[in-house]
Amino acid sequence: MIVSGPAFIWRRSASQSAVRSFDEAFALVRSDLSLQAESNPVFAAHLEMLDDPMLRDAVQEGLQSGLSPSDALDAARDGIVAMFEGIDDEYLRARADDVRDIFGRLRAAMAGESSGGQVQMPGGCILVAEELLPSDTALIDFKALGGILCHKGSSTSHVCIIARAKGVPIQVGADISGIKDGDTVQVDDPLSGSLQSIASRARASGLKVYVNAANLDEIRSGLAAGAEGVGIFRTEFLFLNRSSMPSREEHAAIYREALLACAGSPLTLRTMDIGGDKDLPYLPLTAEDNPFLGLRGIRFSMLHQDVFIPQLQGALDAAGSVRELHPEWFEEGSPLHLIIPMVSKAEEILQVRALLSSLDPDYGRLLELGIMIETPAAVLDAPALAAESDFFSVGTNDLTQYIMAADRGNASVGYLYDSFAPPVRRALELTVRAAHDATIPVGICGEMASDPRATGILIDLGFDSLSLSRLEPIQ
Amino acid sequence: MKSAEVTLSAPTGLHARPAGELVKLVKGLEGSKVTVTCGERSVNAASMLSLLSLGIKSGTALVVSVDGGEEAAALEAVVKFIESIKE
Repeated sequence: MIVSGPAFIWRRSASQSAVRSFDEAFALVRSDLSLQAESNPVFAAHLEMLDDPMLRDAVQEGLQSGLSPSDALDAARDGIVAMFEGIDDEYLRARADDVRDIFGRLRAAMAGESSGGQVQMPGGCILVAEELLPSDTALIDFKALGGILCHKGSSTSHVCIIARAKGVPIQVGADISGIKDGDTVQVDDPLSGSLQSIASRARASGLKVYVNAANLDEIRSGLAAGAEGVGIFRTEFLFLNRSSMPSREEHAAIYREALLACAGSPLTLRTMDIGGDKDLPYLPLTAEDNPFLGLRGIRFSMLHQDVFIPQLQGALDAAGSVRELHPEWFEEGSPLHLIIPMVSKAEEILQVRALLSSLDPDYGRLLELGIMIETPAAVLDAPALAAESDFFSVGTNDLTQYIMAADRGNASVGYLYDSFAPPVRRALELTVRAAHDATIPVGICGEMASDPRATGILIDLGFDSLSLSRLEPIQ
Repeated sequence: MKSAEVTLSAPTGLHARPAGELVKLVKGLEGSKVTVTCGERSVNAASMLSLLSLGIKSGTALVVSVDGGEEAAALEAVVKFIESIKE
């Protein structure tokens, strides 16, 4: 989302009083933080950090080596910040902001500045700042803001999290040099809280909100941001960029991790969606004239069963071992939802069921089996497919491309590639009706699920779940 | 001194909120000094900044050591708490 409005340059208000001693400054900051901690867990954590022996020791060390109090503060800050910035974890790196903030408060308190109330800002303005610290957020009236433009910061810093949770678009890393109060400025925030606001809207209408993932990290971050499960776990990463095909054990290890990360929430695991457009050294593929209408998805898997069977075995192994650890996760059906891509006829589902039966006659206790709805054939024959499936999920990207017969990568037919076009809408209606007639759940993944303009339509159509492309953390 | 190994299973690693709760727990253990070792680094478990600075990821094996006080009970409490961290 892009918003624009008059710039309002952020200045920390500072009313001077007498310079305070080090201990007085600590006491003042502690009492400020204690008040704010009651309503905001971020400041409760800051309070904890203020009293942290590491922080105290670092400052004492500087004082004992003869530094002035303000230099001792800066040295302690730089040491601790450097430590956090060296950590290989974006979340923890962003905690350096918290440390800077606490030291900023201490310095301000020593310099005799007192914290004031909320800063008055004109409605709809774009707040422009070099950097916004967590303590600044208490001074910002988010309701008045049209957006925030910030030079420094990361997308996981508190100010971004808070702004997005409040639905305020924020752009970090922006060039703000030369902007003056009142200039018209633009904020470009592709995330802009819209995914979280889609999530809250969908939940309010009783839909489940899942997240799409293409690796374990994306599963973990999506769940940490509030997703109720994984709506599509793409497994191609296991097959690409390697010289030999993945073994049953490799599949099992990854899927086991994924199931444990989901802790009983659904994990929708899409079987390999590989076609002639991918290059696999261990599997010579013949080039096709028309790969999108060729050997891909389940068609490819059934032809190359030596690659497909280890994936199915790995999925069964993972579910079996997780079930032994956590039988309670399987009481109301397995959390492992295996989903087959590019299905066009019911026989393809039956073939996969036969394959699964040959690997484990009682596979139904370990997984649910569903299909992607992404071909016009699957939509037109949805009642027959629903009879053989435990669930449906609509992949709107391919479905739109196949229904409109328009390549999504071809700009000259871009005017036809439209998930809001009436024929696509009609396909979604048919799919939902067939699923509900067969009393199986139907979800939607693909870009349409993450498009705020589509949320109302998808809720009205009766989808049971949305799987969002990603979910920004809320704290 | 008593020690035990424990693995953090929280999917996103050790974050500020559970680390803060761990610090509270450790501060309540009278007379015990609790140390957490991750790889080659050992830190005071009463310091949230030190704990966070370890950058502990999900699935990391940690060694918890307790020196002084009710060592066995303190060790059990800390290990149980780390195992219970789910966020």
